[in-house]
Amino acid sequence: MAKTFKLEIITPEKVVYDNTVQGVTAEGTEGSFGVLAGHAAMITELQTGILTLSDANNKTERFALDSGFMEILANNVIVLTDACTKEGEVDVEKATAEKASAEKALLKVGADVEKEKAKAALKRANTLLKLANK
Amino acid sequence: MLSTKEIKQRIRSITSIKQITRAMEMVAASRLKKVESRVLASRAYTERMQQVLSHLASSMPSEKSHPLFTKKEGGIPVIKIVLITADKGLCGAYNNNIIQKTLKFIKENTGKPIRLIHIGKKGNLYFSKGGYTIEKYFPENVEKFGYNQVKTLVSQLIDGYEAGEFGQLYLFFTKFNTMMQYSPTSVRLLPMGKDTFKSKVIAKGEYIFEPSAEQIIEHLFPKYIETQIYQCILESLTSEYAARRVAMISATENAGEMIDELTRSYNKARQETITKELLEIVSGAEALTQG
Repeated sequence: MAKTFKLEIITPEKVVYDNTVQGVTAEGTEGSFGVLAGHAAMITELQTGILTLSDANNKTERFALDSGFMEILANNVIVLTDACTKEGEVDVEKATAEKASAEKALLKVGADVEKEKAKAALKRANTLLKLANK
Repeated sequence: MLSTKEIKQRIRSITSIKQITRAMEMVAASRLKKVESRVLASRAYTERMQQVLSHLASSMPSEKSHPLFTKKEGGIPVIKIVLITADKGLCGAYNNNIIQKTLKFIKENTGKPIRLIHIGKKGNLYFSKGGYTIEKYFPENVEKFGYNQVKTLVSQLIDGYEAGEFGQLYLFFTKFNTMMQYSPTSVRLLPMGKDTFKSKVIAKGEYIFEPSAEQIIEHLFPKYIETQIYQCILESLTSEYAARRVAMISATENAGEMIDELTRSYNKARQETITKELLEIVSGAEALTQG
């Protein structure tokens, strides 16, 4: 059996995932990367994207993450993110609406801060939709 | 001695008070339940965040200490305080306790300019008298104070801190322990001394940082303060509801006792009038037979 490690995905609202897994791939700000048991200690920033894990029984689960952080220390992996949606729990209607409103906001001339916000919202909505459509 | 009519009136008014306090108790209980689950859930996040940040702080190359971690040179004396109170009273000593704690702190720091930032009406009301500097007051309900507002507040605070507007930032709130126990608490948010973190130093200098330690701190740090303030707002809210619930339970109990007592004196008064009437009839009848 493959080596496993502990993974926790935590948002301000709840502990989304807390179990042992065999591997995780996530999207860091520098590109996507994978983590297996015995990974060196690392702290990294995550960008909005999809996190894939394979649990102790080799079953794959996918989550849409907001931007956040990941800490790897002694076979304990902690993912801290603003929001996290499990595959199959995506509200497609809501995500589509959010995508539309974000696109609209991007077209408007506004402050840079507003644009950044809209961009982030668009990315979030796109990630959610991607997760829903596989 | 009150007449039966007056006693009856008082019983009626106290019964309606009892109904109100009972309703308030129930409202507080249901709100408490909602907010309590939120506070417990977000505690995990805050704790983990603290843990990650402490690992980060302890494994940073010490000569490159981040300004947010250490005291500024020259020492700017201005202190900012974020005070979280309730919007309403009728919750026992909840507001008073946290206000007293803040007052004590202000007294200990006389001579230094102190600026207050209020979340919650009661604190603002108290400190608007007596010559305190109120920098900001958020008039919206504490309950509606969302994460986005915390975000805006924190980014303003950090900008101000980095521009040298003030030297220290404290947060005064009420920590929720159990249903019956909540403690007024203060924490220093800025500068964040390494002593803020209690966890032991592990893996010093062995971390890989991506993209870089500086950039991670740049993003993680404001987030940490945001979650900290948000968490403390939730803690305070939970304490408020718990305090109100307890206060209303005892008010309802007291009203019940009062009603019992009044009912007793009502019965006594009623009995007395009946006895008196009987005596009058009897003596009247006796006078008739004698006559």
